[in-house]
Amino acid sequence: MGAVVIAESLTKRFGSVLAVEDLSFALTAGTITGFLGPNGAGKTTTLRMLLGLSSPDSGRALVFDRPYAKLERPALRIGAVLEATDFHPGRSGRDHLRMLGRAVELPDSRADEVLALVELAGAARRRVKGYSLGMRQRLGLAAALLGDPELLVLDEPANGLDPEGVRWLRDFLRSFASEGRTVLISSHVLAEVAQTVDQVLIINRGRLVIESALAELTARIEVRVRSAHPDDLAAVLAREGLDATRNGDDTLLVAGATSERVGEIAFAAGIAVHELIGEASSLEDSFLQLTAGPTQ
Amino acid sequence: MIAQIRAELLKVRSTRTTIGVVLGMLGLILLFSLLAGLVARPGELTGRASQLQLLNIGNLAGAFSAIAGLLLVTSEYRHGTIRPTVLFTPARPRMLAAKLLAAALTGAAFGVAGEGLGWAIGYTILKSRGIPFALTSNDIELLGIGAIAGVATWATIGAALGAIVRNQVAGIIALLVWGFVIDNLLHEYVPSIGRFTPARAENALSNMRTAHLLSPAVGGLVLLAWIALLAMIALPLTAKRDIA
Repeated sequence: MGAVVIAESLTKRFGSVLAVEDLSFALTAGTITGFLGPNGAGKTTTLRMLLGLSSPDSGRALVFDRPYAKLERPALRIGAVLEATDFHPGRSGRDHLRMLGRAVELPDSRADEVLALVELAGAARRRVKGYSLGMRQRLGLAAALLGDPELLVLDEPANGLDPEGVRWLRDFLRSFASEGRTVLISSHVLAEVAQTVDQVLIINRGRLVIESALAELTARIEVRVRSAHPDDLAAVLAREGLDATRNGDDTLLVAGATSERVGEIAFAAGIAVHELIGEASSLEDSFLQLTAGPTQ
Repeated sequence: MIAQIRAELLKVRSTRTTIGVVLGMLGLILLFSLLAGLVARPGELTGRASQLQLLNIGNLAGAFSAIAGLLLVTSEYRHGTIRPTVLFTPARPRMLAAKLLAAALTGAAFGVAGEGLGWAIGYTILKSRGIPFALTSNDIELLGIGAIAGVATWATIGAALGAIVRNQVAGIIALLVWGFVIDNLLHEYVPSIGRFTPARAENALSNMRTAHLLSPAVGGLVLLAWIALLAMIALPLTAKRDIA
């Protein structure tokens, strides 16, 4: 399938701060992509450029092959939530949706449909200032769903949701993507992202660190091996092309190997092994390794 | 464009802020009309100019209309609703045009309500005090059409100013300083320039008979020129500014 979103060498500077630098990636239809990075990494700035809210200093962002602002009634193809606070507190949730829907000629009944979809029908006529943060997140999602879009762009959608709400969101996004639609989701809740996304984009200090399928990223195996002769074992492993690092007095961490291979190498070298544990790398491990270093 | 205007009009109607502004407007017009009509001696209300002044107290609606227009834009920035608004209408010139037109329609409604109340109270006072009505039908037509158009213009000016400054407090202060200080100073001390301010042009459009005013037709053209000027400033700013 073709790319739904293309970012080409996006660069954005705010004064002396380079928020996004030469950032390129593409999203394929039908995928859920996690957009990850520490605070200040440039995630929200990137999303704003994708959605035409701000202009890149150089590079370009295309959604369905065109800049967002050049699309005819883009809200009917793309739904987005950037902030959980983008509501007039004195307006009811239903009126918020009606006013947005009217701009793209949707009937008021569509507002009622999406309110029911996000389970806010009971609070539809209440003013937003009486909503909890979780309810505001749902209302934002309802606004994004008004146009029955093919692409959802969500910035930290799980903030403020209770565990039930998080599960609901996860199931919803899975169902949404199973219909061949695409989701780009920025989040700090790595455990939540790990259960939801197919692929990840990790950025740090405005630059793309990795674009990978989640399965590939977390399939990297690390072996923890304990021995009375860790230095000898490290030397033997190095001869076999494996990188081992000390972790404590008698423990080595061996990257990119299985426990079977490490055990066989130690046995062949006649080095006694007291403990041998194979560990799959978690998304959090990968994230922390890839984004180590000062933020802006 | 009609879709965007409908969306903007719903924004105006769907918060209590607008109700508060309308109630404030009606209350002030009621108070000032009663004071002007009941405190003055009958002899002071027999002239054409004085009756025009009395029946046009409703043009106070212009100030409230300007604030309503300003809020239509600045509250979007204050509450962050500008983000979904632009996501749903990414063609920003169209979004701005819809806001200006919606503001004009809102202002016209303010004008009908405010001028209607002022006119009704003034007329009732004149009649109840037995003061002969000195105005011609032409005066009344110009007063009605001009005053309502003037109040609508103020809403559009407020919306355009809001698009330029974006900050609600700064916008309201700018309106108040202009309306109550600069406009009056210009009119008092440099009338050759002061007659071209929006407030004086609105007075001229309403066929008021105070000194130094332009003719109604020229007053209307000057008001349109003010709208065009502010819109021309607001347009590139709205189109190019990043939305945080």
